[in-house]
Amino acid sequence: MPLAASAIYFLNLRGDVLINRLYRDDVGGNMVDAFRVHIMQTKELGTCPVRQIGGCSFFYMRISNVYIVIVVSSNANVACAFKFVVEAVSLFKSYFGGAFDEDAIRNNFVLIYELLDEIMDFGYPQNLSPEILKLYITQEGVRSPFSSKPTDKPVPNATLQVTGAVGWRREGLVYKKNEVFLDIVESVNLLMSSKGSVLRCDVTGKILMKCFLSGMPDLKLGLNDKIGLEKESQLKSRPTKSGKTIELDDVTFHQCVNLTRFNSEKTVSFVPPDGEFELMKYRITEGVNLPFRVLPTIKELGRTRMEVNVKVKSVFGAKMFALGVVIKIPVPKQTAKTSFQVTSGRAKYNAAIDCLVWKIRKFPGQTEPTMSAEVELISTIAEKKSWTRPPIQMEFQVPMFTASGLRVRFLKVWEKSGYNTVEWVRYITKAGSYEIRC
Amino acid sequence: MAPPAQSQRSPSPSQPSGKGEVSDLKSQLRQLAGSRAPGIDDSKRELFKKVISYMTVGIDVSSLFGEMVMCSATSDIVLKKMCYLYVGNYAKVNPDLALLTINFLQRDCKDEDPMIRGLALRSLCSLRVANLVEYLVGPLGSGLKDNNNYVRTVAVMGVLKLYHISASTCVDADFPAMLKHSMLNDSDAQVVANCLSALQEIWSSEASSSEEASREREALLSKPVVYYFLNRIKEFSEWAQCLVLELVGKYVPSETSEIFDIMNLLEDRLQHANGAVVLATIKVFLQLTLSMTDVHQQVYERIKAPLLTLVSSGSPEQSYAVLSHLHLLVMRAPFIFSSDYKHFYCQYNEPSYVKKLKLEMLTAVANESNTYEIVTELCEYAANVDIPIARESIRAVGKIALQQYDVNAIVDRLLQFLEMEKDYVTAEALVLVKDLLRKYPQWSQDCIAVVGNISSKNIQEPKAKAALIWMLGEYSQDMHDAPYILESLIENWEDEHSAEVRLHLLTAVMKCFFKRPPETQKALGAALAAGLADFHQDVHDRALFYYRLLQYNVSVAQRVVDPPKQAVSVFADTQSSEIKDRIFDEFNSLSVVYQKPSYMFTDKEHRGPFEFSDELGHLSIGAESTGTVVPAQRVEANDKDLLLSVSEKEESGGPSNNASAYSAPSYDGSSVSAAASSQMLSELAISSVTGHASQSSLAIDDLLGLGLPVAPAPAPSPPLLKLNSKAVLDPGTFQQKWRQLPISLSQVYFSTMT
Repeated sequence: MPLAASAIYFLNLRGDVLINRLYRDDVGGNMVDAFRVHIMQTKELGTCPVRQIGGCSFFYMRISNVYIVIVVSSNANVACAFKFVVEAVSLFKSYFGGAFDEDAIRNNFVLIYELLDEIMDFGYPQNLSPEILKLYITQEGVRSPFSSKPTDKPVPNATLQVTGAVGWRREGLVYKKNEVFLDIVESVNLLMSSKGSVLRCDVTGKILMKCFLSGMPDLKLGLNDKIGLEKESQLKSRPTKSGKTIELDDVTFHQCVNLTRFNSEKTVSFVPPDGEFELMKYRITEGVNLPFRVLPTIKELGRTRMEVNVKVKSVFGAKMFALGVVIKIPVPKQTAKTSFQVTSGRAKYNAAIDCLVWKIRKFPGQTEPTMSAEVELISTIAEKKSWTRPPIQMEFQVPMFTASGLRVRFLKVWEKSGYNTVEWVRYITKAGSYEIRC
Repeated sequence: MAPPAQSQRSPSPSQPSGKGEVSDLKSQLRQLAGSRAPGIDDSKRELFKKVISYMTVGIDVSSLFGEMVMCSATSDIVLKKMCYLYVGNYAKVNPDLALLTINFLQRDCKDEDPMIRGLALRSLCSLRVANLVEYLVGPLGSGLKDNNNYVRTVAVMGVLKLYHISASTCVDADFPAMLKHSMLNDSDAQVVANCLSALQEIWSSEASSSEEASREREALLSKPVVYYFLNRIKEFSEWAQCLVLELVGKYVPSETSEIFDIMNLLEDRLQHANGAVVLATIKVFLQLTLSMTDVHQQVYERIKAPLLTLVSSGSPEQSYAVLSHLHLLVMRAPFIFSSDYKHFYCQYNEPSYVKKLKLEMLTAVANESNTYEIVTELCEYAANVDIPIARESIRAVGKIALQQYDVNAIVDRLLQFLEMEKDYVTAEALVLVKDLLRKYPQWSQDCIAVVGNISSKNIQEPKAKAALIWMLGEYSQDMHDAPYILESLIENWEDEHSAEVRLHLLTAVMKCFFKRPPETQKALGAALAAGLADFHQDVHDRALFYYRLLQYNVSVAQRVVDPPKQAVSVFADTQSSEIKDRIFDEFNSLSVVYQKPSYMFTDKEHRGPFEFSDELGHLSIGAESTGTVVPAQRVEANDKDLLLSVSEKEESGGPSNNASAYSAPSYDGSSVSAAASSQMLSELAISSVTGHASQSSLAIDDLLGLGLPVAPAPAPSPPLLKLNSKAVLDPGTFQQKWRQLPISLSQVYFSTMT
């Protein structure tokens, strides 16, 4: 069954309705109450994002301090429903300028109603593309793309594009300076056992682009991925150049990418949307370069004292450096006093999250700072159970480094007018869930 | 990005106190209604905003209807939209006043601005007032023929809305036929997609009463239509693609080559950024290849990577939806993810619903080669701060042990759990040790040694206590203190609140008596006395039964209560394969998440005990078909206690020989709340009805094979039905490629559907 939403509600954390939009009559009007009574006010909240109450199913998601609830009465497509909410939120964000929270909703509720009208009709998702919607639902809310007022900037053929085939780009764009920005953003996920062996490790990456290009340009992107390189050497009938090639486990693309051509020629070619968009996403599990190694030793000295020593090694190039490095080492709840010695950065005890938090703002490559801490615990009589240690968690960003080793080999822009473009390429690796058990 | 100026446009609507404000608004609106002063629109806008915000928070502002309509004469689009929204909300309760709006809406439907035409048409159809439908037909008819695609998309949905208000008006105006024409001819993809949604709904619900409609519904799945959609698939928006793929999934190709052609065309959809499209494509692939065992397995190989990507990207809610599907797949083809088990290791900060599914995945993918790693990982979670997850992970270890892989190491681990000295860990581990012993009696020596050290005083949970008591009874000859522990438990009979525990206590003390009569006699007497005085019917009955049995003949009693047992070889699966197949047919829907076929939660009779507990009357119908009911009941029970129930339903080895020890589960069943049992009764009713299936939904028809168009489509000329040749490979090479994919060696569990 397709998604046929009966209603959408936006609620704040107390359960007050911020927005309600009924699309179909097949559910009662008191569905918010049902949600409040049977989900929000019970322990069930957060145990499962899909719930059935009476004959209706509720999909709900919390985004900052707002719950978005979709109610359906049929056997709906779950993946589609959640994706719809995610897309809708990003659409709202692009209208509000970033934030999506209770205040933003209250301040823009008329706009949200307008948008809800357009993105869904009778429960079926319609057009959610911000590029198109912004043509006729504007900030001022008064502009109709069809109005013949001369003061309005003419938007040629807007309705064609409301639903048209090349939905992501309109014609007649002109830029004085043609520029393309390409960012490869990777997040590394790691789970390391207390014995130091890697239990699981993968990289999810995305390529974000910002295009300020005139006309209808054709872009072609070459990466150092294995399949692409092999195909190329095959085509040019010369052996693959030595050097690292990356094996991508899986790739997904923005709708602008010509998938047929990707499958046959293994090149990423596309007509980009104007402005910012996510060109592709990929996942890699083999040959990941971990930027950091964490070597913890935690000793419990009797009942009331603990000794924590942590050494962190940066294993990327010496000329590079990581930013915003945070290492969180969990300690028991009954921690009373802590004292630290660090060779770099600052450390302190954060009682709210029961962690020793060690921050290093700038962390050069090929170094290994250490932190040693003494932790005093309040002795409790009832404490017979041994403390189970949650994993050490780490946050960081390493610019100009990719954990996968992925590199852009070329980015070609071709447009019939033959203008010159400036291309900017950046790399950054962030910590996803970087956990080390101890 | 939007400038922050937006926020100043409207101040946060204050929480209004009630009537005073509404009447205030009323008079203000009146003043503005006639005015033509410049800037009037701005003040109107502020007022309208207030009205809408009151409406949103649930204050009844329907009394303003007349004033709102009067104020709606404006050219300002935003004002119009707010007014439309208001009218749409209150027209239903104010049918008389709604008539007032018809005029201006109809006028707007003829506006020269297509935007206004579309909006007006949408609002007109959203009035939902039955006696106004006559006013809809005209504007809808011209809307469908409008030269602007925006208006047409709106009009198509309008037809569907009209159908829901008054089906006869819609059909009489011949709108379905017009939609069909647009669907096959319109140049705009969204119009086409909306036609498809609308026609699917209309014809499905008409099909029961009209033969023509049911033919039309089948025609949607005919080759020409399906190919038409496939050839245009790239024009559709991602949402419409989901719709089309759902349709293609139901198509039954007549030849093998067709299957490959379709797969070839759709293969790149697996790389779509929208996870819903990817899942829909996967469904098509799985459904198409059901009859081709080897290709079906290759499909599993092909979809692995995209599925794993979907799990790890997106919000936790999205991962949850995908993981539910993975779980379904892995039940059918356990080999599929067995080498990717590390993807299902839990992250510390994940929400518990994701962790829970991951634990189930880890259990399901365990096999000879990875059991050690998986169990090691699961043991990490047993110390988790999140207690429900810790419990789940212990159960997972037990389940893996029952699957017979590397039992040796697992038993050791379970026994270590018993020594962890955490109440819930001990409790879960005890239940598992009990199940293990029933399957692997050879481990009794090791287990008994550890279990004997556990003080029954530390066990609070009924299930765990019952498990411990069962072991005390079963192995009383090996456990030195058994009679005495039982005796002390019987002394506290009054404090034992769980009937389940008391039942087990009775049985255990009986078994103990047969093995060590002198030491147990006193305890047995006390237990029977207490049991006979028990207020709980089952406990009382069992005590009485034992008492009379002993009175009759002790050796017969022993044969009944404590016969030599065979080890349980297989614990019964909790879901019948029929139900599983139905769920699989409904891949990519809620059924997969709920783990039950859609008729169980969408049909009125099957819904939970909430509103329909009074529908007991159906009982009489259901009496004939008890056979079909069993799976349904099982699923219900399954929902309540998915993991534990596995251990309680066993395929009994000998005839009724273990009645005593295992009757606790059957008791469980009967003690389900009245509400739940009424639900079962109503299920009883429906499962007998489904055979006739006249009023049941499309889904069921499909499941029963009624909806599938076996009838060939009106024979079209072959060349028209070629799929686009844009496909990557020519059919031959493509087939070759699929053949070359690695074939997994392990066996697949699935039944062919055709």
